[in-house]
Amino acid sequence: MAGSDLFTGSLDLLILKALSWGPRHGYAVGRWIRDTTEEEILVQEGALYPALHRLERRGLVAEEWGLTDTNREAKFYRLTAEGRRRLRDEAERWGRFARVMRLALDATAEAP
Amino acid sequence: MNTPFRLPDDPRRAKADVEREIAFHLEQRAREFEAQGLTPEAARQAALASFGDRERVLAACADERAETLRRRSRLGWLAELRQDLGGALRGLGRAPGFALVAILTIALGIGANSAIFAVVRSVLLAPLPYPAADRLVQLWTDERASGRATPEWLTPPDFLDWQRENRTFQSMAAYQGWGPDLTGDGEPEALQGGTVTAGFFATLGIRPALGRDFSLADDDAAAPPVVIVTDGFWRRRLGADPAALGRPLTLIGEPWTLVGILPPNFRSPALTDAEIWRPYRRPATSGCRRDCIVLRAIGRLKPEATMVQAHQDLATIASRLATEFPETNRGRGVWLIPLHDQITGTSRAALVTLAGAVGLVLLIACVNLANLLLVRGASRGRELAVRAALGAGRGRLLRQLITESLLLAALGGALGLALAVVAGGALSSLVPPAVRAVQRIRIDGAVVAFTALVTVLSGLLFGALPAMRSVGVNLMEVLRMASRPGGRRSGRLRHGLVVAEIALSVMLLVGAGLLFRSFLAMQRVDLGFRTEGVVTASVTFPRARYQEPTRAVAAIEDLLGRLRAHPAVAAAEAVDQAPLSGGGDQDTGMTAPGEPKPELGGGVWYRTVSTGYLQVLGFRLVAGRMFEPADQSSSGIPIVINQETARRFWRDRSPVGRELVDDDGNRATVIGVVADGRPDGPREPVKPEMFVPIGRFPVRGVTLVLAPTAGREAALAAIRETLRAVDPLVPIAGTSTLEAAAREAVALPRTYAGFVLAFAAVALLLAAIGVYGVMAFSVTQRHREIGVRLALGAAPAAVRRMFLVEGARLAGWGALIGAGAAAALATGIRSLLFGVGPLDPVTFLAVPLLLGAVTLVAAWIPAARATRIDPLSAIRAE
Repeated sequence: MAGSDLFTGSLDLLILKALSWGPRHGYAVGRWIRDTTEEEILVQEGALYPALHRLERRGLVAEEWGLTDTNREAKFYRLTAEGRRRLRDEAERWGRFARVMRLALDATAEAP
Repeated sequence: MNTPFRLPDDPRRAKADVEREIAFHLEQRAREFEAQGLTPEAARQAALASFGDRERVLAACADERAETLRRRSRLGWLAELRQDLGGALRGLGRAPGFALVAILTIALGIGANSAIFAVVRSVLLAPLPYPAADRLVQLWTDERASGRATPEWLTPPDFLDWQRENRTFQSMAAYQGWGPDLTGDGEPEALQGGTVTAGFFATLGIRPALGRDFSLADDDAAAPPVVIVTDGFWRRRLGADPAALGRPLTLIGEPWTLVGILPPNFRSPALTDAEIWRPYRRPATSGCRRDCIVLRAIGRLKPEATMVQAHQDLATIASRLATEFPETNRGRGVWLIPLHDQITGTSRAALVTLAGAVGLVLLIACVNLANLLLVRGASRGRELAVRAALGAGRGRLLRQLITESLLLAALGGALGLALAVVAGGALSSLVPPAVRAVQRIRIDGAVVAFTALVTVLSGLLFGALPAMRSVGVNLMEVLRMASRPGGRRSGRLRHGLVVAEIALSVMLLVGAGLLFRSFLAMQRVDLGFRTEGVVTASVTFPRARYQEPTRAVAAIEDLLGRLRAHPAVAAAEAVDQAPLSGGGDQDTGMTAPGEPKPELGGGVWYRTVSTGYLQVLGFRLVAGRMFEPADQSSSGIPIVINQETARRFWRDRSPVGRELVDDDGNRATVIGVVADGRPDGPREPVKPEMFVPIGRFPVRGVTLVLAPTAGREAALAAIRETLRAVDPLVPIAGTSTLEAAAREAVALPRTYAGFVLAFAAVALLLAAIGVYGVMAFSVTQRHREIGVRLALGAAPAAVRRMFLVEGARLAGWGALIGAGAAAALATGIRSLLFGVGPLDPVTFLAVPLLLGAVTLVAAWIPAARATRIDPLSAIRAE
C-alpha cells in the first residue's frame, strides 16, 4: 500500500520522528512529513493511516482522544517508551546506512 | 491539546473510529487548500485526490485497529485491576482510621474462622492417621437390654467367637491396658502400656519400623514373653540403639524380649499414653469367662463390606451366643461405631458450636463493615458522580468499589491468618486430650485456601451491597444536591443492618451465657469429697515379688504408717482407684438377701480403701459409722455405701447392719452410709457406690492420698523417701493433686465457655460500634433539622430523647429477633449444657438487658452531641 513511497519502511520511522516532540493527530503528522521531506515520501497521504495503526498495534505509539486547538475532537498519537527506543535505534541504523551508501555511490576509484 | 479522556474500548467501533479520523484529516486538508485560494468544492476534491484510495486505507486501518482493540481488551482488565487497586490503596490511605477499623474487624472475624476451621478440619474432617482409616471400626457389645445406656467392653470368649466366625471383617484385634514396672538399668519406672491380640497393629495398617509385629504364636500362653515399644520409648530409655532389638527388658521383675519398634509417627487410637505393648496371651485359658468384661476391640472392614452388613453379621453371631449361653449372653448385642466417630465424636458438638460462633462473629463483622462502607459511600457520592461524568461506566465504578472491599478483606484476611497461626498452639486446648493424641492440629494449605475463600466471600458480602447502593443512586441527583448525601432509602438499609448485627450478637451472647452458666453450675457441683490440697501418687507392688496379695497390702500399710509419721504429711491414706481418675470397678452381681433384685442391671461401683480414707477426703456420714482400723482384720466384710446404693437395695429403710451378697457368696455388712458424690467428675451422674477395707479385699496397686503439712513438693519427697525404705524397686507413677484433676474435669467446658464468651464480647463491641456509627451519621445528616428544632425552642433533652428512642428501637428489634433465633438454635447445644436448660430464663433476660444498656450508651454519645449543635451556624451552613 505504501508502494509509492520512496523507501519502504522509511514512513514508519518518519512517523515516530514526527511524534518525538509530543502527541499529534494524524493530520499534523502527515503535514510535518510533507513539510520536511519536500513531499517526496508521502505521495498518497492516505498511506499514513495504515502505518499509524500498524505502529499502534505493535505498541510503538499509543492513542489518546483529545481536543484540538480549535476545540475539535480528534485522535492523538503519542510515542510509547518502546516507540521512543525504536526511533533511536532506527535513526542510528538509517544514519549508518545513509553514510555507507553515500560513500559507496560517491566512490571515485575502482576497488583494488 | 487539552483534557484528554478515554472512551470505552469496543472492537465493534473500530471502523467508526477510523472513519472519524479520516474525515477529520480530509476536512483539515481541504481547509489548507482553501487557504491557498481554492473554492470549498475544489479544495474538497483536491484533499480527496491527495489522500489516495480512501476505501483501501479505511479497510487496512480497520483491520489493524480491530486487532489492537482485541488485544487491549485482553490486557485491559489487568491494567484496570492495577488502576483499581492503586485507587483503592490511595482511598484507604486517605481514610486511615476507617481502614484500620475495617481491617482489624475483618482480621478478627477471619482469623477466628481460620483457627476454628483448622481445628474442625484436623479433628472432624481429616481421616485418622492410618491407611484406609475409614474402614476401621470400634467393636462394642450392646447391653441396652439390661439397662446400660452406653456401649460395653467385650469378654474374651465373645471376642474370639466374633473374630473366628465373622465374614465382613478383614481382621479384628482386642486390647486392654497394661502398667508394667520397668527395673534394671536406671531408675525404676512405672510404664503405661497395652496388651493386644496379634494383628492389632496390622489391623490399624501399621508395621513396626524395626523388628517384627506380634504373631499368633506370641498369643500362646507358653510362648516366650515379648514386647514391642514405641519410637519415643526406644529413644528415651534405650538410646535409639538398634541393637536393643532382641535384648530383654526387665518388666515386673521378669525378662521380656524386645522384638519390635513402632514407627515414629505411630499414634495409638486408644491407650494413647502407652509406650510398651505385649501380646494378649491366649484369652481362652485366662480363666476369664463370658461374664468377664475386660477387652476393647477394633476391626477393619473388608473393602466391600458396609457398616450395616458388618452389624448384621456380628449380630447373627451374638444371637447364637445368646441362645447357647443364656446365663451370660442373653440380650447382649453388637454396637459398632466407626473409629473416627469413636475418637472425635465427643468433640463434635463443641466444635460445631464454636464454628457457628465464629461464623456469627464474621457475619457481624461483615454487617458492621457494610454499614461503615454505606456511610462512607454516602459521603463519597459526589466523587463517584464526578467520575461517572468523566466517562466511567456504572460497571466500572461498581468494579472499583468492590475492588476496594476485596482489598480490605485481603488485608484483613492476611492479618487474620497470621493471628490464626499465632493462636495455633492454644487451639489444641479446644480438643479433648484423647483426640489430641491421635489427630494433630495444623495450619496447612487447606487452611490457607479456606481463609482465601472466606476472605473473598466476606469481601463480596460486605462490599457488594454498599457498592451497588453507591452506584445505583441517581448520579445527577447527587451532583445537584451535593450537600445532602444518602437518602431515606439508604438510611433504612443502614438501620436494617444494625438490627441484624444486634440480633446476631444476641444469638452469640445467649450461647455464651448458656455455656458460661453451665460451667459455673459444674463448678458448684458438690463432688461429695474434698479436693483442696490433696496430693495423689500411684504405686504398685508387683506380683513377681509380692506373690501373696496380703504381702502387698502389708507393704502398703507399712508405707502408710511411715508416711503418717513423716513431718511433711498430715494424713496418708490409700485407694485402689483415685476419684476423678476415670474408670473404676463395678460389681454386677450384688444382691440384698430378702429384697427384690434392683430392676435395672448395672452393679455397684466399689473402691478398696484404707480405713481413714473416707474421713481424710471429708465424705459426709449420713448413717452408721466410718471405718476403724480394726475393720481391716475383722471376720466379716464391713462396707460403707453411699445413699444411692442404699436407695437401690432398701429404698427408704435404714441399711445399716444389713447385708449384700455377691455372686461368689461373699457376704458384706453395711456399717455406714455416706452422702452421694460424683467421683467421676461433676458432669457424671451419681452412681451406686460402696467402699471396702483394703485388708478385706487385697489389691497390689493403690493411689496414695495425702494431706501435706507443707506443700506438694515436700509431700512427694516424703513419698519417694519412705517408698525407698519400703521397697527401692517400686516406682512412683502418676503424681497429681485432686484439685488439678477437678480442674481438668471441667477444663473443656471452661475453654468452650471462654472462647464463646470472647467471641460474644467481640460481637457486642462490633454491635456497639455499629449503633454508634449509624447514630453519629444520623446526627450529622440531620444537623440542619436539629438546628431548626433548637432554634424553634425545642429543649435539648427532647432532641437527645429523639435519638435515644431511635437507638432503643434498633436495639429492641435486634434483641427480639436475636432472642427468637437463639431460642430456636439453643436446643442444638443442649449436649454442651449442664444445670441450665436451653431456654434458661436468666440468660434470656440478662442478654437483652446487657445489650440494651450497651446500645443506649453507644447511642448516647452522638445524641448528646446533637444537643450541642449551634442552631445559628447549623442553619447558615446550608
